[in-house]
Amino acid sequence: MKQVAYYKGCLAALSAKELDTSTQALAPKVGLELIDLESVTCCGAGDIHEAEPDYYLHLNARILAYAEATGSDTLMTICNVCTLNLRQADFMLKGDEALMARVNTNLAAVGVPPYSGAVEVKHFLWIVAEGEGYELLKTSAHKGLKGVKIAPFYGCQILRPSKLLGFEDPDRPWSLERIIEACGGEVVDYPAKIKCCGFPIIQAREETALGELVQPIEQAIERGADAIVTPCPLCHLSLDAWQQKLNAARDKEGLEPLQPMPIFHLSQLIGVAAGIEESELKFKRHVVSMRPVLEKLEV
Amino acid sequence: MATIETAEQTMQVKLKIWRFDSSTGERALKEYEVEAPEWVTLLDVLDIIKDRVDGSLAYRKSCRMMICGSCGMRMDGAAVLACKTRMYEIVQAGHVPVISAMGNLPIHKDLVVDMEPFWQKFNAMKPWLQPGYEEPPEGKEYRVSQERTKVIEKEALCINCGCCVSECNAMESSPAFLGPQALAKGMRFVGDARDAATVERLEDYSGEHGIWECTRCYFCNERCPKGVDPRDAIAKLGAEAVKQGVDQDMGVKHAKWFIKSTETTGWLRETELVPKTQGVISAISQMKFAMKLARHGKVPIPVPPHVADKVDEARALHKVVHEQGRLGYDGIVQGERALAKLDYHLREEDKTEETEA
Repeated sequence: MKQVAYYKGCLAALSAKELDTSTQALAPKVGLELIDLESVTCCGAGDIHEAEPDYYLHLNARILAYAEATGSDTLMTICNVCTLNLRQADFMLKGDEALMARVNTNLAAVGVPPYSGAVEVKHFLWIVAEGEGYELLKTSAHKGLKGVKIAPFYGCQILRPSKLLGFEDPDRPWSLERIIEACGGEVVDYPAKIKCCGFPIIQAREETALGELVQPIEQAIERGADAIVTPCPLCHLSLDAWQQKLNAARDKEGLEPLQPMPIFHLSQLIGVAAGIEESELKFKRHVVSMRPVLEKLEV
Repeated sequence: MATIETAEQTMQVKLKIWRFDSSTGERALKEYEVEAPEWVTLLDVLDIIKDRVDGSLAYRKSCRMMICGSCGMRMDGAAVLACKTRMYEIVQAGHVPVISAMGNLPIHKDLVVDMEPFWQKFNAMKPWLQPGYEEPPEGKEYRVSQERTKVIEKEALCINCGCCVSECNAMESSPAFLGPQALAKGMRFVGDARDAATVERLEDYSGEHGIWECTRCYFCNERCPKGVDPRDAIAKLGAEAVKQGVDQDMGVKHAKWFIKSTETTGWLRETELVPKTQGVISAISQMKFAMKLARHGKVPIPVPPHVADKVDEARALHKVVHEQGRLGYDGIVQGERALAKLDYHLREEDKTEETEA
């Protein structure tokens, strides 16, 4: 078992609890022992980075410091936005001694342990897409996805900017596809899989956001996908909960509603293939019913 | 002893190009194959095609050395400068790339886009210095320190090529969005020590289609061939707007609620985010939507609040940091040197890998 500091972020603690429970249930099957971080806060999303970037840096340094204090060399995230925020802050600190010293002085002033830079921030996707995690995933996913058609949706901040994320080619990513195949699913390819779901501006600029959100949904439907899978709870919320708003907008234009598209969290998709109980996967917490795809999977 | 290769090594280069004629609306994907020296760029190959195969092929070019910004186009769907894109490795890999015009701009012919909408947005930023005086005080030149120029070091690199605009996801959905190039240009003036129109600019740039319409897809940073990182420039503008009190946009209210959340419960207070961003009246109109979400546990009840352990530390940290006054774009600029090093290390790693191979 590899011990990793586990940063679940806000949504998995709140509206996307199903992401947390499914990740917790799946972890031992892919060789991970999750160390909970009790004292950490929100990473600030893109919001604090844009409103008060110095506070953003300190807030994320505090999370990194508590992760380092667990003794693990890995801080595991399950959200794209958390991943970018924490990696960016980490690189800012590791690349600038003076900045690291100033931030550590400030952390010490409020009683936070120091951060030395001994942690690497990795998304759960990256841990199970290669190496030992991937080997264990293949073994665990014995129940298989029975050839159901799954459309991968990466979202943005796990791919771009690639100099900060850098796990895979941001234009030709492969990790989700590899996992879908390892779990016995059929990959549905479509151009919008690397584009934005619109979530960051879904409240402040809803119309613009919906114009982004509609692309992956429509393309996945056109290509016959049974479901979409995403490694990000914000993409999930947008794809799942805001689908009804797409239909409301279509209704105004006199168009037929879109066929409902079920959305998996990555840990739920692997979890289904690994035979994890529905009580942990909590599909009922989704707004768009997961029943059609689960029936195909005979769950 | 090293030998100097004098004979030019050549290779066969294959390309597919989306040809387009706006007068007839005809669109066709055509394949070309030419012999070219191994050192060619995509632009050189287009020159050879135009010279030897089809003189009607249309594309823009001028300097051929990544300065003029004329030859932005798409290769396999990703915006590039043709003059910066070497063909050798692509040919070696046996790949036949598809070349097309940039996105988010109307196409005139083949690879030539209409840059008019681009320049309109550029001009809307008032891209000239507004020093607030006619003659410099005491008749002397305004001297800017080396340190101070760092604020806009990256933004000043922009060559107006449009590669960032090509893939901007927000602009694709909302064509009126000012977009990454114009906003980065705006930051170039907001951050200029000699400019006196900061607040006025920030107010101008904070409209419906300004700073807060950016969807943070980071395509602009990924595509920019000059390292401008327009998304970071937009974040600098956002931070400066908050610092200067230009904070009436829903985007700012949304951001401020995140700060409040980290100080009070540690975690985002999701349920209150809508009324705090959009106002209570607008939030009430969303009640039906919210109730449907609530049925699936997507609207966590805020009472009792879900409070992180030691949240008082975060509150104290915010106070300490705020008092140090590194607000606005300074908070982003301070990290740029470290992040630029990362570019450098990545390049060095590539070189090492090549040498080892």
